[in-house]
Amino acid sequence: MAAQADAAAASPAASPASAGPHQNGASGAEVVIDSVGKTFRRGGRRTVALAGASLEVRAGELICLLGPSGCGKSTLLRIVAGALAPDQGAVTVGGQAVAGPAPERGMLFQTPMLFPWLTTRKNILFGPKAQRSAGLNERDDPELDDEADAILSTVGLAGFGDAYPHELSGGMRHRAAFARAIITRPSLLLMDEPFGALDAITRLRMHDFLLGMWARYRTTIIFVTHDLEEAVLLGDRVAVMGGRPPGIREVIDIPLGRPRHAADTDTESFLAAKRTIRSALTW
Amino acid sequence: MVTTIDREAVLAEVGELADRDDLAAYRKARRRAHTRRLATGAAGLLVLVLIWQLVATLLADPVTLPSATQTAQTFVHYLGRPYPSQGDPLWIDALTSLRRILIGFAIGVMAGVVLGSAMSASRVVRHLIDPVIEVLRPLPPLAFIPLFIIWFGIGELPKEVLIVIGVTPIMAVTTVAALDEVPEDLRLCARTLGASRFYTLARVQIRAALPGILTGMRISMAGAWTSIVAAELIAATSGLGYLIMQAGDYLNTALVFSGILSIAILGLVLDACLRGLLLLADPSRRG
Repeated sequence: MAAQADAAAASPAASPASAGPHQNGASGAEVVIDSVGKTFRRGGRRTVALAGASLEVRAGELICLLGPSGCGKSTLLRIVAGALAPDQGAVTVGGQAVAGPAPERGMLFQTPMLFPWLTTRKNILFGPKAQRSAGLNERDDPELDDEADAILSTVGLAGFGDAYPHELSGGMRHRAAFARAIITRPSLLLMDEPFGALDAITRLRMHDFLLGMWARYRTTIIFVTHDLEEAVLLGDRVAVMGGRPPGIREVIDIPLGRPRHAADTDTESFLAAKRTIRSALTW
Repeated sequence: MVTTIDREAVLAEVGELADRDDLAAYRKARRRAHTRRLATGAAGLLVLVLIWQLVATLLADPVTLPSATQTAQTFVHYLGRPYPSQGDPLWIDALTSLRRILIGFAIGVMAGVVLGSAMSASRVVRHLIDPVIEVLRPLPPLAFIPLFIIWFGIGELPKEVLIVIGVTPIMAVTTVAALDEVPEDLRLCARTLGASRFYTLARVQIRAALPGILTGMRISMAGAWTSIVAAELIAATSGLGYLIMQAGDYLNTALVFSGILSIAILGLVLDACLRGLLLLADPSRRG
């Protein structure tokens, strides 16, 4: 384990999936999105979903893609995930071109997408076991169980490893989904309006949860949202998206310190940052 | 309706929005609600039997309506003894019907699942087979009985084919629906966790569709009983349908009821097996 940890610390971005304890492990990868465009064709009709989107995401950064429905933010996220191939342009993550989905690029969805037939623990271990069956690792069950225990208590689900998803509350499901994504040690987390369907209070808790987890794992996060306040609270920067054809309009720095908490949304500086973003939304 | 009410009772007790602080307590509450539901259901059946007994006693005409106790006596009597008009005891007839059901059902389920999977995987196959199924599905399988007698005689084959004909379209349709219902994002999620395409197909897509397929099996099992009993009433020399017909001809109403009771019991047992599989496949239905 010690040797692996050293290796991971020596070249964290180059081999994000290599084994090593989480605390030192995989830090964030740099993401380069280079004039990416995507057009959907359905029944002879062409819809430009995204045009000329360019963005450089720094290693370890939390960046929000903010915009209304149909602004191309989900399309862009799926292109970075490798779920969609762009018509123009290219994406590299940690210097490597994106070609198809991979565990280095974890994804979280609006609904937690837990596998309803698996307990929380087995949901969390889905990734490591799927990779083991593909020959990508040779970690044995006791080792994986220990790791599942550790991550369950990290996300506050100790004692719920044997619960099925339907037995968890909304917030707990999202925390379980986070644990399932982070256990594969992604260098980049793609989050597609992950808290959009939660009630306002649970959502506040999830913001604090995410900020805490991000501080702990230091992975790069691209966070898609249509909620202005959420974008300002979470992001180091906010990429405002929209227009015709849809693309990235403006990338704005959020001049707020870290660590941040959901309670910071009342402060003067927060409101100022919010005002800046709002004016960027009315182009 | 019943599930909705119970769910609300559970939620009132446990609280859906709050984080659960105790999994054991939550499960206990769900089990309590489940036991209550079972007890209520059993009470409903008991009331039905009591009303039957009461009406039969008042009528005092066992040819029109034998009482529940008379029926029970007849059932037990003929379970192991052959009845006069035909050589086999009740349990042999029950076994005969059961064997026909299970053979036809197994073949029909396999054919339907294979067909449905192919339809879900390929647009061309779907567009090719969809109209065939849409034409076959609303037809009552019973309409085929005379045809199958001409083609296959009155042996075992026509009965099994009849069940296959009834089961296959239902299974194909429910399999397609179950596979289509698996969210695209659930597969993407598995892929981003490092699962290969094949692993995702087997462990996520097919696995996620399993409860829907099992529900389809429960529906087509009910249809299979309808078909087989009807076929045995019309053209058979064995099976529960034949027994009921014979008992009716001899005005042995208690034996008719015994045959119906046997079908009910076998139907319940088979459905309980499928339900058990469904509970194994879908934890959210437990409790």
